[in-house]
Amino acid sequence: MTEYAIDIVNVTKRYAEHTAVSDLTLRVPTGSVYGLLGPNGAGKTTTIRMILNIIAPDTGKIFIFGRPSNDRDITERLGYLPEERGLYRKMQVRRVLKFLAELKGVRGSEADRRIDEWLERLSLKTPEKDWGLAKIDELSRGMQQKVQFIGTLLHDPDLVILDEPFSGLDPINAQALKDTVVELKRRGKTVIFSTHLMDNAERLCDSVCIIARGEKVLDGAVTDVKEEHGHRNVALALDGDGMASVAQILSDHSLVRRADDSNRFFEIELMPGADPQTLLRRIVESGAAVQRFEMIQPSLHQIFLQKVGATGIEEGMSGHG
Amino acid sequence: MAKLWAVIKREYLERVRSKWFLIATFFGPIFFSAIIIVPAWLASRSKATTDIYNSIILDSTGEGFGRQLAINIAGDSTNPVLMPSVRAIPPGELTRAESVATREVMRKEKSGYIVVNQQTLAGEAARYAGTNATSIADMARIKEAIRQTILASRLEKVGLDNRKMKQITFIPLDFSTERITERGRAGSGMASVLFGFAIGFLLYMSIVIYGQTIMSGVLEEKTTRVAEVVMSSVPTDTLLAGKVFGVGAVGLTQQIIWIGTTYILLKARAPIMAKLGAPTMSFTLPDISMAAGILFLLFFLLGFIFYSSLYAAVGSSVNSESEARQAASPLMIMIVSTGVFIQPVLLNPTGTTAKVLSLIPISSPIIMPIRMAVTGVPSLELAGSLAFLAIGCVAALWLASRIYRVGLLMYGKRPTMREMARWVSYAR
Repeated sequence: MTEYAIDIVNVTKRYAEHTAVSDLTLRVPTGSVYGLLGPNGAGKTTTIRMILNIIAPDTGKIFIFGRPSNDRDITERLGYLPEERGLYRKMQVRRVLKFLAELKGVRGSEADRRIDEWLERLSLKTPEKDWGLAKIDELSRGMQQKVQFIGTLLHDPDLVILDEPFSGLDPINAQALKDTVVELKRRGKTVIFSTHLMDNAERLCDSVCIIARGEKVLDGAVTDVKEEHGHRNVALALDGDGMASVAQILSDHSLVRRADDSNRFFEIELMPGADPQTLLRRIVESGAAVQRFEMIQPSLHQIFLQKVGATGIEEGMSGHG
Repeated sequence: MAKLWAVIKREYLERVRSKWFLIATFFGPIFFSAIIIVPAWLASRSKATTDIYNSIILDSTGEGFGRQLAINIAGDSTNPVLMPSVRAIPPGELTRAESVATREVMRKEKSGYIVVNQQTLAGEAARYAGTNATSIADMARIKEAIRQTILASRLEKVGLDNRKMKQITFIPLDFSTERITERGRAGSGMASVLFGFAIGFLLYMSIVIYGQTIMSGVLEEKTTRVAEVVMSSVPTDTLLAGKVFGVGAVGLTQQIIWIGTTYILLKARAPIMAKLGAPTMSFTLPDISMAAGILFLLFFLLGFIFYSSLYAAVGSSVNSESEARQAASPLMIMIVSTGVFIQPVLLNPTGTTAKVLSLIPISSPIIMPIRMAVTGVPSLELAGSLAFLAIGCVAALWLASRIYRVGLLMYGKRPTMREMARWVSYAR
């Protein structure tokens, strides 16, 4: 197995009105869980579509497991769950799954066996009721999402691509998805997912890439990214109504670059070169009762805001960036 | 290839399993037999009515011409009820007698009157006035009877005896028509026109119905976003081809069932007609050779590919059923305007209009089979028509696949023609 599941080299995709992806280069290590992060309209979906060979890049090259992405055989090693989900409404669940399996080269009794296994595993087939025989539109939304997961994973792909997988999931299915991602990684599969929900990314991903306006802002292992952006963030919690007295200190831009009120505590990003001890002294001097003052690693959310800021979010995009 | 097969199989099986398909396939042959049998049945009833027996003959020839005419109108029957009444009128009183008869007809006591005079004896003129004057069959019967009577009286004058004269003039002619093509006799004329109409109608309906089936299929894949999953596994060209072939195979299955059962129903029409209380018709079924049958199916398939690939392109470029109906209207206009020409072509299958329309790919899949059904078409014209249609199909598929692969991923507002033209130029 090659070192990189995905190797994107200087890829650009332009549309008539705008550039969706601009000179993007990124590498996804085989066997990792990789997060593609960015605001709506950043180029995430376009990038994923190019990886899947649904659309072709204008310039640049994409390799999947060391082979060009337009290699016909490679698609059978990919599993894809699109952001907007849906299936043939009037079709029987088993037949939909069988069709999707056939498209990925899994046929006949082998497909049937796997479908049974998955339906039982996600409790769509119980001794009382076999939802496999129902039509798609007889299923609840949650059940339809399960069927779609099955369709993505039925052919046991080596690379699983999930586009905004958590949007519209109920908590139970969201948990099932997380468990699945963890299990896939344990089995040596590569999982790449796009999201704008940083909490999920932080918990699940080994590596991330943040893109905005079609360009890569940063990428790397989550621990490295945090390390790189650490040492300048402080968690501050005060007793009682001490907040008013420190408000002036926090708005001093020689010291504090940004203060984010997370309700139970402030996450404070210091200005480059500012000394955290100076900040602590001034807070104590102001008379506020300090409950917590801690140097912390920034959350991905903070890094994202710091790097992309409000300007990275373009208005009026299709929402399928 | 395996993927193409998977797409074809899904399109085919999902549609053949649907209730709609079963209903249409079952009722189709009944409907088609009806459109063939009912006009034929109506035609068989357009024989002379009993009105002609209830007429008056105003005879001013003074030679007993009227009585002989009455016998001839009645035909073999000697029943006096089935014989027009005869009034011998002196030439001077004819005008008054006519107005008396007119009033009788107005009071509905009689259906009409025939005036025969010296001019009639000379073979120059006779007159009829009555409520049934517009009935072609009645008038033909009366005219024929008058001719026959004139002929008889002339023969009598040259000295033929009554019995001999009857032998000579009795001509119970049954006039049936049959068409001759390059391949020989091809069934009755009327039946082949009806057959041509049925073929045209069948092709027309199939193209409209299955074209729209493909369009909504594509639209469903786009709106449910299944398209994205499928496109990540299958190249769009394969997907489009799979859809066209799959749905085309459904159409072909249905047509073969339709044609087969309609043929059996028509062959077995005698007991069916007897049950309906209608007289059995004596028309022969058009004699379709294997080669012609294969050509019909070929025209159906090519016409279907031409239109359905364009319908697929329309389905991929829109976001809802109502948008689809609007966007498909140019296609609908192309098909409907072809439909308008079905009748003129039936009436003049070798005219310039028919020849031109059977070369243009837009209309040839409907018009050429009609021409083949009603007349012989030179093989050069057939080859030309097929060649142009095949080129048209390649062009339509090329255009459709380019619009399709971009359109499927475009959501939001409906594209303008200019935007769609730009899609065609996109690499991918």
